[in-house]
Amino acid sequence: MSDITETAITVSDVKVRYRMFKKISLLKTILAPYKYKKTELFEAVKGVSFEVPRGQILGIVGKNGSGKSTLLKAIAGIFSPDEGTIDLHGHSVSLMSIGVGFQSKLSGRENIYLSGLLLGFNRQQIDEKLDEIIEFSELGDFIDRPVKTYSSGMHSKLAFSITAILETEIMLVDEVLSVGDAKFKKKSFEKMKSLITNSDRTVVIVSHSTETLKSLCDTILWLHDGEVKMQGSCEEVLPKYEEFMS
Amino acid sequence: MLEIRFFKDFKKYFSYVVFAAKAELKSEVADSFLSWLWWFLDPLLYMLVYSFIAVVVFKSNVQYFPVFVFLGLNTWTFFSKTMKSSVKLVSAKKTIVTKVYVPKYMFVFEKIGVYGFKMIISNLLVVVTMIGYKVPLTWRVVWIIPISIVLVIVTFGMSTIIMHFGVFVEDLLNVITVVLQLGFYLSGIFYSIETIGKNIQGRVPDPYGDLLVKLNPFALLITDLRRVLLYGENPHWVMMCAWLFAGILMSFVGIKIIYKFENSYVKVI
Repeated sequence: MSDITETAITVSDVKVRYRMFKKISLLKTILAPYKYKKTELFEAVKGVSFEVPRGQILGIVGKNGSGKSTLLKAIAGIFSPDEGTIDLHGHSVSLMSIGVGFQSKLSGRENIYLSGLLLGFNRQQIDEKLDEIIEFSELGDFIDRPVKTYSSGMHSKLAFSITAILETEIMLVDEVLSVGDAKFKKKSFEKMKSLITNSDRTVVIVSHSTETLKSLCDTILWLHDGEVKMQGSCEEVLPKYEEFMS
Repeated sequence: MLEIRFFKDFKKYFSYVVFAAKAELKSEVADSFLSWLWWFLDPLLYMLVYSFIAVVVFKSNVQYFPVFVFLGLNTWTFFSKTMKSSVKLVSAKKTIVTKVYVPKYMFVFEKIGVYGFKMIISNLLVVVTMIGYKVPLTWRVVWIIPISIVLVIVTFGMSTIIMHFGVFVEDLLNVITVVLQLGFYLSGIFYSIETIGKNIQGRVPDPYGDLLVKLNPFALLITDLRRVLLYGENPHWVMMCAWLFAGILMSFVGIKIIYKFENSYVKVI
């Protein structure tokens, strides 16, 4: 049924602009209507197309401001491209990031539900994974205390555990996360690695570390100023990218 | 198309909304166990303030005055709090909006849940005072159900539209605050707009009073709540239906613009 060449992500000619929607003020518009007409137009992604087959791992490289994170957010559905289309072929998607915003007065347990529901899981699915999340987070009794009592390390441990254990079919990773103390860092990196290398999962990773990408990715997409500069295997792209950056 | 997507999304995110609304109420109480007391004290103290103004200063002689004020106050507070919190709602939910997709009008439902719950709690005061005053009840009390439905739909419609503009217009909150203040005085919360029976003298002379009840949905809703609960009269059916349709239309427009523009919100906040 699902052969290996099945496509998980199709991005075609995507353009993302930051413009037209600038904050306006009614008062300023009335008092100085001409002063306020200027709108800056900035195209962060300028017509990018690529496909990711199911189960593959795509790495995106590029210097700061080349549109990597913008593209990732567009794939996650956080905002729509101004032109072009992104088709996820019905797969569930999540953007791995530290915390979907915790309610600090609520307990860790309640925040797991809150984040899980936001990520599109239902109560039952969260119930099933709850123990695993709590165990992975190493929070122990703190799980029933308000999140505001957590140290920053505990905070990120919980956030990581939620996103790592409530898995989706497509995972978007903005910088491979490793959080907490040395021990947890190692554990979370291992977890990430096992999530990423799972052959059923399609992953897009944005990273500056060519080492990480070399060890994880199947193909690399090099973005430069919002355009695809190069696309191919790690061996083809990464050496040229390193050369370019140095 | 739009309806299908709306109902699908509504179903998908409904449990989030319920959980989030509960969470918000819970975290309000979490600080001190007695903070829920304020859900009663707030309307109670305001009722006393308005009673003082209306009875002592303006020599009002409205029957069952505390109930009369509570009904107006609770209804208005529900609307105005939902509306006010909607203006900056998207940026208040920044941490969520920038990381995951949620249909943004679901946040309005969350607020409706929170303030709706508080309205129900403070309406217990209405029940208690009605028992205290031995207000005779008629079967017409059942009409509070359709009236409440219209209240929620109109509030939702207005709040979603306002939420959309609140993303782009920096000083919208200032404008909304003033408009709500005006709305408060024009909704007959501590006075009666229309003359009811022999006892209650309308404070706004017709045709203005009549116009006000027709054009201001909250004046209508509050007046009609009092009619069915206190005076055993029917609501203004025609206007109630008109506002039901207007509410549905506003909700439709609100949902449509949110679907169209919500993915640009992240670029602004």
